[in-house]
Amino acid sequence: MIDALHPTSQAPFSVEAFSCQKAGNARTEYEDAWAIRGSDSPTRCRVAVADGATESSFSALWAALLVESFVRGPSHGAEFFGRLGAIRRLWRRKVRGRPLPWYAAEKVRRGAYAAFVGASLNAVNRGWRAVAIGDCCLLHVTGRAPKLELAHAFPLTRSEEFGSSPFLVGSVKRSDDDPVPHVRVTEGVLQGNDALFFASDALAAWLLRRAEKGEPAWEAIGPEGIQTQQDFEALVALAREEGTRNDDMTLVRLTRRANGGG
Amino acid sequence: MYSAEISRKNPGCFIFLLDQSASMEDPFGSSSDRRKADELATIINKLLHNLSIRCAKGDSIYDYFHVSVIGYGQDSVVKSAFDGPLTGKDLVPISELANNPLRIDDRVKKTDDGAGGLVEQSVKFPLWFEAKHAGGTPMVGAFKMAADIVQRWVAEHAKGFAPIVINITDGEATDGDPVPEAKALGSLGTDDGATLLFNIHLSSTAGNPIELPASADALPDKFSKQLFEMSSNLTPFMIARAKELGMPADEGARGFVFNAQPVQVIQFLDIGTRPANLR
Repeated sequence: MIDALHPTSQAPFSVEAFSCQKAGNARTEYEDAWAIRGSDSPTRCRVAVADGATESSFSALWAALLVESFVRGPSHGAEFFGRLGAIRRLWRRKVRGRPLPWYAAEKVRRGAYAAFVGASLNAVNRGWRAVAIGDCCLLHVTGRAPKLELAHAFPLTRSEEFGSSPFLVGSVKRSDDDPVPHVRVTEGVLQGNDALFFASDALAAWLLRRAEKGEPAWEAIGPEGIQTQQDFEALVALAREEGTRNDDMTLVRLTRRANGGG
Repeated sequence: MYSAEISRKNPGCFIFLLDQSASMEDPFGSSSDRRKADELATIINKLLHNLSIRCAKGDSIYDYFHVSVIGYGQDSVVKSAFDGPLTGKDLVPISELANNPLRIDDRVKKTDDGAGGLVEQSVKFPLWFEAKHAGGTPMVGAFKMAADIVQRWVAEHAKGFAPIVINITDGEATDGDPVPEAKALGSLGTDDGATLLFNIHLSSTAGNPIELPASADALPDKFSKQLFEMSSNLTPFMIARAKELGMPADEGARGFVFNAQPVQVIQFLDIGTRPANLR
């Protein structure tokens, strides 16, 4: 689905999101989540993408709560992961209070898991700061088509770094499962026509693999490459044809408006 | 090879072969108070528990797997080991299995309170099997029955992940040489690969546990060597999973464990029943 945010002419950022569930699954089974807030603010634009783990239950809910809390809450640095108590309580309230068969109840007890990347942007100084846990990625692309280059990939930088078991942030607090030591933080500055892309793992891995092989990657996800949901679905189909794992795929694209903000 | 996606439309097939012969009443390894049959019942109940939870999604359960549990030994016959509502069924979707245990116990489990302490929680604990031990060890017959089920399965799921057969035994077949039947079983498969046969040896012979060996050199007797020879190599995905769990799994590691403690056996079963990521 496409979620253009109908930005005003003053909005410094243009942000669009595209998403696609696993082939063969219903749309309701999509377990990634994304959230965008403040694209019309010069200093408080935030974007987040999370990928709920297939092997945990109610992970779509957990992913959605994480991204919404990140873009709406006061924390947008590593401290976000030290203050998960309220989000975890909300998840628990939503999944308990209903009769569940033994296996579903046990799975709830074990919690839901998600990978996460989120960033805050400042249109005045063009700076961005990002935090991540797991393998959802931020990709900072610079230059002008057709000479686009990857300036920064975060937290993973190469396609071979994507494995099947990254550390994920859990909805149940456990002393041996503290996400804080696993939080990665980075920052950068947008130049000229730079774009930031936020992608869930399968899509990020495919894009990096293409770029490593010298094949077109960044053009394909830029404003000329994807304008509609059909364009995104065609891209996802191509990625799967090229052997990408059948996974939910999410892309959030952020570009600076020519006359917006700073 | 061994890369087919497992989904509800393209489920995986697990067949567990349980040695329920009289010799399973003997003590396990050097232990005097734990019988092999008790060990086996604990293992299979825990395994089905874990598999069901792995397939649980939201408030339901997805049929990622179809599961067969064959017992051999009771009255020297080979048959479905299910009791209760599943009696006589030889291959059932995981949802049917999860919803039809013999009974569900309430147990208290100590769990992490998130602050370094423990808190007691009441949990439901389903049981499908009780310990059984009588008769001979018709392992050859068990492999034949597994081959029948596999043959039916692959005819309907030609593009599916190869069936996985896990045999849990004390290793002493009484109805002939099981090796040819094991090989026949391994000759069946899907487009994605040959049937995988793994073995768990609960021996009466005292000896250090041996997990996922790549050679039979360290194994202590002819039964363990024979079970090793019948065991398939682990797939690359399984080797990666074994390493994640801290188990030794070198190139050429076979799906075989000898006299492992229950925790290691459950870990092994986690590896052996993890053909690929689920969709």
